[in-house]
Amino acid sequence: MPTLLAPRFWAIHLLALVLAATAVGLGVWQYDAWHARRAHEAADLTRLDPVPLDDVIGPDDPFPGTKIGQPVVVEGTWVPDGTVYVSGREHAGRAGYWVVTPLAIGSESDPAIPVVRGWVDDPADAPTAPTGRGALVGWLQPPQGTGETDPDPSDDVLPQLRIADVIQHVDQDLYGAYVVVADDVAPGAWPTGPTAVNDGTDGLAPATIEQLPDAGTFTAVRNLLYAVEWWFFGAFALFVWIRWMRDELELEETQPTPEDAPEPEPAGTTVEGQ
Amino acid sequence: MRNLFNAYRVLAIVVGVLLAFCSLVALPLKYLAAEGGSLQQFGESASIMWAVHGWAFMIYFVVAFFLSRKAGWSVGFTIVALAAGLIPLLIFWVEHRVTQRMRVEHPELAAAA
Repeated sequence: MPTLLAPRFWAIHLLALVLAATAVGLGVWQYDAWHARRAHEAADLTRLDPVPLDDVIGPDDPFPGTKIGQPVVVEGTWVPDGTVYVSGREHAGRAGYWVVTPLAIGSESDPAIPVVRGWVDDPADAPTAPTGRGALVGWLQPPQGTGETDPDPSDDVLPQLRIADVIQHVDQDLYGAYVVVADDVAPGAWPTGPTAVNDGTDGLAPATIEQLPDAGTFTAVRNLLYAVEWWFFGAFALFVWIRWMRDELELEETQPTPEDAPEPEPAGTTVEGQ
Repeated sequence: MRNLFNAYRVLAIVVGVLLAFCSLVALPLKYLAAEGGSLQQFGESASIMWAVHGWAFMIYFVVAFFLSRKAGWSVGFTIVALAAGLIPLLIFWVEHRVTQRMRVEHPELAAAA
């Protein structure tokens, strides 16, 4: 082994390590670019132009899977008595509650969609629910529900925003979706922020969207393919390096040193001390 | 070595065609064709072929490397052969040179035409 550490080989070792490290680094860079571009596209989708709710989902429709995070304009009548609080929601690292009030799309008894108005530390601090007409832009979200059941159906705190749980608190039908009041909307004449009508967000911290839209499967796939390729080249550089070292060692063992050369060894005889 | 040599030739053509398509068709269309036009769109979508070229090149690189070791090429010739997969059109000439050279140095491969 010491032969391989001889100074004349240092440049080769260094070259192999630099090549391998460079390839791994470039692979990591492409991999990060792949992530970044996908996250960017997902964020872009939440800033599409808002569309009327009924263009995306009707009261009896299943959730349109491709519309997660789609900004929608919802307009109707608040159902303040249906206000619920969803526990275990984080905001700026603190656990708290979502404040959710259904908005009947149309008049009071029409089907309603739960609207996450914002976040609060404690339900006792929540401002009173809005009444009357409201119009706002929200991000459409599929209902939650991983099977966690409401431990106490008689109060207005829910562990998850499940439509089946919320419906216990209202007298009408609910949409199979909910919306989160959007605080970052594409420019345009939408009822959002200061132009929203009675959106019930006063005194509440903005809630963050739970599920981002899916970036397309093939978004930035080139970056991922390049990342794998770079890692492959890095591995190949290591492979060549190791093979070269093995060859050098074999050469060392099989080739007699110049002093030994003039005396041919009989076949099958091992050389002492080597 | 014959299998390696044949694999090398096929891969050289594949890599060469992919690279020529990407750099001489897709790239100019993407950047030079009228913005938003169908030609420009085609150039944009065809850019995925760069990744295909990259993977084909990866295989070419390994095969060419082993062939160079087996055939005992010099370091310089090996580097040219490996890098040819990255320079448009060069690979066709390199492939031709390699074939000539292999036929001279390894006559037993002559039948592998």
